[in-house]
Amino acid sequence: MSTETQLKKNYTQFVLPAFIAAALVYFVVLAKGAVFPFILSAALAYILSPVITYFEVRGIKRSYAVAALYIAAGVLAFAVVYVLMHLLSSELATLKQEWPLYAGQIQQFVTKHNDNLVKTYPFMAMLRIGEKLDHLLELVPQLLLTLLPMLTLLFIIPFITFFMLIGGSGMIDYLLDHLPSRHAEIILHIASRIDGSLGSYLRGILTEAFVIFLIAFTGLQMFGLDYAAVIAMLIGFSSLVPYLGAIVGAVLSSVVAYMQFGGDIVPIIKILAFFTGIRFFDDWFLQPYIMKKAVDLNPAIILLALMAGAEIGGIWGVIFSIPVTCIIKEIMQIGIELQETEFRWKPKPEPTRISIPYT
Amino acid sequence: MNLLNILNNIYDEEILAKLGFLKSIKLFEGIKKRQLIHVLESLQERTFLKGETIFAQGDIGRALFIVFSGKIALTRLDAATQKSETIAEVRPGEFFGEMALLEEMPRTAAAHAAEDTKVFMLFKIKLESLLFSRPKIGVVIAAQLARILSARLRAIIEKPAAE
Repeated sequence: MSTETQLKKNYTQFVLPAFIAAALVYFVVLAKGAVFPFILSAALAYILSPVITYFEVRGIKRSYAVAALYIAAGVLAFAVVYVLMHLLSSELATLKQEWPLYAGQIQQFVTKHNDNLVKTYPFMAMLRIGEKLDHLLELVPQLLLTLLPMLTLLFIIPFITFFMLIGGSGMIDYLLDHLPSRHAEIILHIASRIDGSLGSYLRGILTEAFVIFLIAFTGLQMFGLDYAAVIAMLIGFSSLVPYLGAIVGAVLSSVVAYMQFGGDIVPIIKILAFFTGIRFFDDWFLQPYIMKKAVDLNPAIILLALMAGAEIGGIWGVIFSIPVTCIIKEIMQIGIELQETEFRWKPKPEPTRISIPYT
Repeated sequence: MNLLNILNNIYDEEILAKLGFLKSIKLFEGIKKRQLIHVLESLQERTFLKGETIFAQGDIGRALFIVFSGKIALTRLDAATQKSETIAEVRPGEFFGEMALLEEMPRTAAAHAAEDTKVFMLFKIKLESLLFSRPKIGVVIAAQLARILSARLRAIIEKPAAE
């Protein structure tokens, strides 16, 4: 009887937390649009937290550390964002104006080659490359302009992040203090493992993307290529996928250079050499130093994660796919380790034994 | 005057007190105060209420616990009598569970909070990270750990002779 009562008590203690969790999930689903800036802010606060901790453990109050970070970063970020927005909006507007001309050139180029191909291989006509290209070329300017509203998040997110950083880990500490005490050690062990690998990966990959963006932007400006800011930003974003950044950069810049310099091959060769250099610089210098402590994700897994992310959650799915994959990989690793220790599915590990007695 | 007040306010007394506390811990003896900052970064804080179980005998150990305030009782179950016996009480400045930093093996005793207790937890993974990223600190901790374990081993072996 007493065991039954105990069991009931054990189950009922999970009712309230389960109800709160379900209500939270329902709220997130209902107010997805409103919650997203907060999720992004939480991610930014997580990425920035080591900077604040750096000052905090040196005895500086959190509020002062956050304020100093915002004053320093705010001035810099405002200047960078202002310049980028200015460049981007004018470049995108110019692109929208000039796009019909470029589209015409691309169409002419493809039609000419397509006609030759169809003459030689008649079955190629079935692919209707020309029609597909027409549709694609019409879509490009609209696609680029839809990215602009996303830039407003650049102002909202730092604002929310400020309050999250000021509040610090108070909320997390509260939750940690209310974990079942007996399981606190294992839960904190898992949390510190995930934090270690996810934090290193996120900070590493973002630093890498930013450095590649800076190099690409400077290089393309020096080449005098049009739309350097747009291309450099696309390279920066695509650098989040291994190998993709340099490929996107090389292809886009070559296409733009082909149209800008009227088919001259020399600038294209220079640009291709530049992006090959970036690729080697990334492989030999950036990755060994920046990513040395991060989770090692296979490029094929990264691609699968990105595609699955896009399928599930669109652009936001793509953004969160890599961190979520990191968490899943770490949890799987911990799960395998727990099999050997807690669950005892494998033989219990033997303690280290030595035959020579204490002397 | 106002500037001096602001400068005074910048510093968080609680953090400075924690750094001072870590300086007094035997495990960190020989680590400079400036380097203790990195140790503090690696520690996880948690408060256990009176009566709460921190770990049970036989649980896999993954962290070392340093008592900051309060009191922890360590008990061991006697296999023959099936009775629990208090083997030690851990007070502020003392630590327990150091074997978890070397091997992920079952705990040899249980730990309960005898009072509301604040502890710092040093996880094996954090110590490993300190060993690789800040070897100067890691080596000091590893050497202190070896000394402490040697002393405890000596105490066990000398105990029957003393009795």
